[in-house]
Amino acid sequence: MTPPLLRLDKLEVVYHRVITAVQGISLDVPAGSIVALLGTYGAGKTTTLRAISGFIGLDDARVTEGAITYRGERIENRPPHQTTARGVTLVPERSKVFENLTVAENIEAVVPRPGADARKLRDAVWEYFPALARLRSREAGYLSGGERQMLAIGSALACAPELLLVDELSQGLAPLVVQELLDRLQLIRKGLGMTLLLVEQNAAIALDVADYAYVLENGRIVLDGTPEKLRTHQDIREFYLGTGADGRRNYRDVKQYRRSRRWYG
Amino acid sequence: MQLAVNIAVLAAIYALISCGYVLIYRVSRVLSLAHGELMMLGAYGLAMTASLFAGHPLIAIAASAVLALLVGVLVYALLMWRMTGESVLAAVLTTIALGILLRGAMILAFGTQTQYPLRDLGWTNSSVAIGESARISSAGLTLVLGTAAVYAGLFVFLRASRWGIRMRAAGQNPLLAAQRGIRLHGVYALAWGLATFTGGMAGMLIACDAGIEATLVTVGLKAFPAALVGGLDSLLGALAGSLIIAASEVLLINYVDPLLSDVVPFFVLLAMLVIRPWGLFGTKEELDRV
Amino acid sequence: MSQPRSSGYFRTSYQRDIALLDTRTQKTWLAIFGAVLLAFPFLAGPFMMDLANQVLLTSIGAVALMLLTGHAGQISLGHAGLLAAGAFTTGILFKEFGAPFWITLPASAAVGAAIGLLFGLPSLRLRGLYLAVSTLALHFMVIHAGQEYETRRGHSTGVVIDPPSLAGWTLQDPRAWYFVLLAGSVATVLFSLNLLRSKTGRAWRAIHSREAVAEALGINVHWAKLSAFIVSCTITSIAGCLFAYYRGFVSAEAFSLYLTIQYVATVIIGGIGSILGALLGTVFVVLFPYSIEALMNALGLADRMASVIFALNYAAFGLAMILFLVLEPQGLVGIWRRIQAWFLLWPFKQKPVGK
Repeated sequence: MTPPLLRLDKLEVVYHRVITAVQGISLDVPAGSIVALLGTYGAGKTTTLRAISGFIGLDDARVTEGAITYRGERIENRPPHQTTARGVTLVPERSKVFENLTVAENIEAVVPRPGADARKLRDAVWEYFPALARLRSREAGYLSGGERQMLAIGSALACAPELLLVDELSQGLAPLVVQELLDRLQLIRKGLGMTLLLVEQNAAIALDVADYAYVLENGRIVLDGTPEKLRTHQDIREFYLGTGADGRRNYRDVKQYRRSRRWYG
Repeated sequence: MQLAVNIAVLAAIYALISCGYVLIYRVSRVLSLAHGELMMLGAYGLAMTASLFAGHPLIAIAASAVLALLVGVLVYALLMWRMTGESVLAAVLTTIALGILLRGAMILAFGTQTQYPLRDLGWTNSSVAIGESARISSAGLTLVLGTAAVYAGLFVFLRASRWGIRMRAAGQNPLLAAQRGIRLHGVYALAWGLATFTGGMAGMLIACDAGIEATLVTVGLKAFPAALVGGLDSLLGALAGSLIIAASEVLLINYVDPLLSDVVPFFVLLAMLVIRPWGLFGTKEELDRV
Repeated sequence: MSQPRSSGYFRTSYQRDIALLDTRTQKTWLAIFGAVLLAFPFLAGPFMMDLANQVLLTSIGAVALMLLTGHAGQISLGHAGLLAAGAFTTGILFKEFGAPFWITLPASAAVGAAIGLLFGLPSLRLRGLYLAVSTLALHFMVIHAGQEYETRRGHSTGVVIDPPSLAGWTLQDPRAWYFVLLAGSVATVLFSLNLLRSKTGRAWRAIHSREAVAEALGINVHWAKLSAFIVSCTITSIAGCLFAYYRGFVSAEAFSLYLTIQYVATVIIGGIGSILGALLGTVFVVLFPYSIEALMNALGLADRMASVIFALNYAAFGLAMILFLVLEPQGLVGIWRRIQAWFLLWPFKQKPVGK
């Protein structure tokens, strides 16, 4: 069995030396697949992605236990540009574009992976996102939400990533726009041969595209499986898909309900 | 008319020095108050290379310029990189301490006498006539033209070249820049190198005009309000600010009181801080942010 | 109020918690220290006396700056300007009106308060870097005003002041000065410690950490900032007045940016946020040039270095500041606390989560 492209092994991430945001999670991302990381706010999903892509200590956070292995190499606690140079690129949740640079400059600023054909990559970005090509000289700060997300993905593509980490693609965007972006991502993945790790609060759309999914709660993985398995799981249906056991919509919040007996039962 | 010439020369001096402040601040968000001393170091560098390469003035100048660039990169590589991510106060105080260290070291190394590198270069500071009623020294003329060239070069570099765009990106959003493969330390070192290069150039030209003496450092300190008035992260602002400060200084010295020369820049600065703290062309930072 | 000690010692009431001294060990040590301080003038020679007086005089201004920058978090690069304000008020009142010290001292305090208000106004709109720059600008303007006075009145080399006198007895003897300055320093320290454990001090610490949160808690942020500036500048101005009397001489050149940096260094090297830090920092900064000189003497380089000793001081001081900023940002107090912790916790060592 070929080893996975990315493997997390009992990963622990600590903020300010006192707050453990991620408490020992293990997951595998096989090459060429789409893996989804689900969970509600505060579960530790974004922290996990940022740990993979390299903290810069801005939030005084460190990986304290466990390992992140990419292609057999340990990449935890490395500066972000080194991780990008290895082929792991992040599309962040917030501050995802350079606001005062134009769209074209945003793409130009990227330093592609050593050995990658920079010119071909940039042309590929305009090809996949013709809407962006029309906005080349617009300042990024003046783009709409959907255009901004397109630019964020585009500038990540210009790094020539093998593994693309996408944080909350759907946040703040209309469902149709999200659908279009996801379709675009699938196309890109086939065309450029990438692996995707998606972090999503919107479980429904994530389960539509993913090959495999992990559910995170309070910094721990509580469930994982194929979308088919998860869609039929009672708790996923109740708390993440909003379809309760009796078929009616159920908005009870994940964190408030004491379900420990069910998990262990 | 002579007043206008004086203003132009003084503005050129301030502009050349303040673009260093702006470069470093824009790219790494650090206010380098060691700039006056680095400028003086550039002047002494010229004095050294001038006597070393006596008879080959162009080589001396080129060597001195390269030296200034290297010193800037060294300052970052040896000291300032440790302060990235620390508080604003700590970084600024480090530059102040560096300035003090440099000033003491320069006196120890070069003594306190006024030096005239122009003599070693074998050139004379002749006077050139402008129009019918004004004169300008050739060093002054070189200053004005040189400043214009430097600014033009910087504008082109930052707007059009790939590394210039990367420098601007790193200044705006360091984390995102790092995630897009930009090596922040390299960009910061480049900014420091360029800043020390332009500051050193200013020092060298002033040294050719008036010689190197202890008061050179105060010129560096007075250029700092020019950078702030224009907006600490805008080159265009540095130009505008330098013109305003130079004009106020020359006019007030001439028509009101010569003693005011040292304090006028700070008057203007204070006025600007009250009216518009982020300067004429600076990006409005969230000054009240939590 | 002081650091909690090792196990077995508990504070059981709010009074005990905010007390300045609680254990008997602390009180004993303080009594011994006090005895040493009082006996000092009778054991030390004139050079040491001058040194001690300088330390005491500087400590007043240092504690004031610590209150402003270390506790209330308002960066001020205008400290020398405040000292100059106090000194020049004293000088001007003496020269023009022959005023005695019991007029010049309160006058200096009043001027300090007024200028403190002026320095504090920008803090209502500006923070951090821009605030520091505004205080720098104001500093230059105060110095300029002093220079204008000197030139206009023909005292281009400075104003000479007679030592203060009361009912025929003049304050000139270094030993007498020692006790006066000791009283002043102790008064300042006690005043500051009390202020810090009062409502005002808590407000200052709140605005230092998170201004928006402080506002949400109902603290009047504007008043807290202004009060920090006013209190600090008043104390500094009084220090300036004492400085003028001690030196017998006031001149604008003495109040350079370098003097401000030296005071800021006492705060940084001592350790931000601690009165003890201000005192430790003062001792370090005042004794520093003398130690450099002693070092030069020991190395036998004294003659060669004589002409450039001030440049050497400059360079060494800059280097010392850099070393502290880079290697020990918590200052001397940080080192002291680490030594304390080592002794208290031995053989256990505290290990924070995540190495």
